Amino acid sequence: MPFQFANVLIFSATAVLFVFGSLVAGRFLRPDAPNREKSMIYECGEKPIGQAWFNFNPRFYLIALVFVIFEVEIAFMFPVAAVYKSFIERGEGLLAFFEIALFVGILAVGLAYVWAMGDLEWVKGLKQDVLAQLREKQAAPPAEKKAA
Amino acid sequence: MNNIHSLRFFWPESVLTVAVLAMLVQDLLVRRSPRRVGLLTIGALFWLALTALATWRTPWGNFPIFGGLLVHDPLRIFFAWLFLAAALLTVVIVPRSKEISSARLGEFFALLFALLLGMYLMASAADLLLIYLSIETVSLVSYVLTGFQRGRRRANEAALKYVIYGGVASGIMLYGISILYGLFGTTRVAGEGGIGAQLADVTSRLFLAHAFGGQPAAQLALVVAVVFLLAGVGYKIAAVPFHMWSPDVYEGAPTPFTAFLSVGPKAAGFAVAIRFFFAAFERQLPGGGYAQVGDLPWPAIIGIISAISMTLGNLTAIVQSNVKRLLAYSSIAHAGYLLMGLAAASTAGVQSILIYLIIYVLMNVGAFLVVIAVSRETGGEDIKDFRGLGTRAPIAALALVIFLFSLTGIPPFAGFIGKYLIFAAVVQRGGFWNVLLAVIGVLNSAISLFYYARLIKAMYLEEAIDQRPFRVPAVYTGVLVALAVPNSFLIFYWTPLVRWAAAAFGGSPSS
Repeated sequence: MPFQFANVLIFSATAVLFVFGSLVAGRFLRPDAPNREKSMIYECGEKPIGQAWFNFNPRFYLIALVFVIFEVEIAFMFPVAAVYKSFIERGEGLLAFFEIALFVGILAVGLAYVWAMGDLEWVKGLKQDVLAQLREKQAAPPAEKKAA
Repeated sequence: MNNIHSLRFFWPESVLTVAVLAMLVQDLLVRRSPRRVGLLTIGALFWLALTALATWRTPWGNFPIFGGLLVHDPLRIFFAWLFLAAALLTVVIVPRSKEISSARLGEFFALLFALLLGMYLMASAADLLLIYLSIETVSLVSYVLTGFQRGRRRANEAALKYVIYGGVASGIMLYGISILYGLFGTTRVAGEGGIGAQLADVTSRLFLAHAFGGQPAAQLALVVAVVFLLAGVGYKIAAVPFHMWSPDVYEGAPTPFTAFLSVGPKAAGFAVAIRFFFAAFERQLPGGGYAQVGDLPWPAIIGIISAISMTLGNLTAIVQSNVKRLLAYSSIAHAGYLLMGLAAASTAGVQSILIYLIIYVLMNVGAFLVVIAVSRETGGEDIKDFRGLGTRAPIAALALVIFLFSLTGIPPFAGFIGKYLIFAAVVQRGGFWNVLLAVIGVLNSAISLFYYARLIKAMYLEEAIDQRPFRVPAVYTGVLVALAVPNSFLIFYWTPLVRWAAAAFGGSPSS
């Protein structure tokens, strides 16, 4: 029985060897002739402007989050659309339709919420409570500033 | 039972799903209304009432639904009522606390309902995958609610710590689940072909033994898998090796949510633990009792965790000066007491857990409510902020004394019933180790009196700098009285609790 584990051992050893083996082999087999163009960072064929190490605007993150949700929605709807005919043949067409409509409906409420809360706006205004806080700060300058 | 027919027993969860969406829509509709807080609270209470109605109307039964993913049984309904009570208290408390801004109240309620949905699923999950998914649902919403006050540094720190510990715990749990799947070839815990059935079946146990080159290897893998699975559950109930998040999270989260977190998800974690261990490693006898199948020493594992949780929680609580942190360590200790009932591995043990959980909701939410009332006025949550509370807010102070004595388990108060039943269940089980566990429990109760009494001393014997009396909102006084009364008088008549717990667990074998 323990010999069955040998399969696993050989399998994992092969996997590790393949990765490092091919990298090492490549190092010796390939021609090595770097130039400026070649060692430039590849950014869809454009010349990169500046460094990639800077703070990204958090606005990207909000939009990306909403985008991911709706992409997942499509990923779930395609399979249903693909086999929808067989649902109809079994007389469950209406049921499947209702289920997927429910799914889309739940996401639609989410979209409406995000929209109404202004998270889809690219240029963001300051919220009213933030403005009020700023006004308070201006009215009474912080004490530690005086100390400094 | 197939999916369409199962929906009949899924009404409470369906209502909760609609409630989450409805709260979001209502939040948008009343956004600019000056009576927003009142309208949203009424909305939340309406959906809670509808969920309660759906829970109440769900037909009684004991069978798997959704093809074995969930189980519909009295235990699930029992926990549903417990969760509803905790949620109701939170909904009543939140609007008057200053910690949740009125602009984001609708969001808070929507998230609370999502959390409630996850807890409902935890209480009925009978499949490893669904157990994992429901725990994740509860965790994800908890992370967001912990960091709800976005501007507060402590809240952000707490939420981040919670996410990191939670990620590790659920990773370990998934690993355990994968080992279990490797051993048994199924994710079903109960029912035909499930883990419990396979362990009970002698031929499949022989197969297990052979497949892994002898009994010890399979046995070891099983123990490891169960311990890993316990990491996820222990994380939810804040038992000791997995408790590190709880003091920071309890301190950083808005206090009304801390109150909910300390009773709701903890109870849900116990629901998962009870269902998993009793479905997988115990077999119900015709008489209603349980006998162990397989030779996994799970009561011993739970017993050790229980003893460590109690001791560490209580000893660390002694040196705390922040009351929310103190209550966090006290809740770790309480997870220990509750686990003791599970370590008894008997019907009486589980029933004592159920009874203790009811009482725990009453006393712990009450204690946190006094903290909310005090920090509303003094702006702090340290023991020194409680000085002179006996003269400043007499009703709140008296209520807190009742809750604290109840948490200690001193006889005239309700906590005593719970502790008595748990200790009795462990001692009844017999054997040196069980009696030792009970002794550790009793010693720990004595230790806990020390730090609870420190708070009481601050309230009555120490003088505050600011001695003006302050007003506790009428709603809070009402809730405090409503919680303090059962805590003081339950001792005279607690048969209904016992009857209810007996109906929820250990009734006739499943049909």
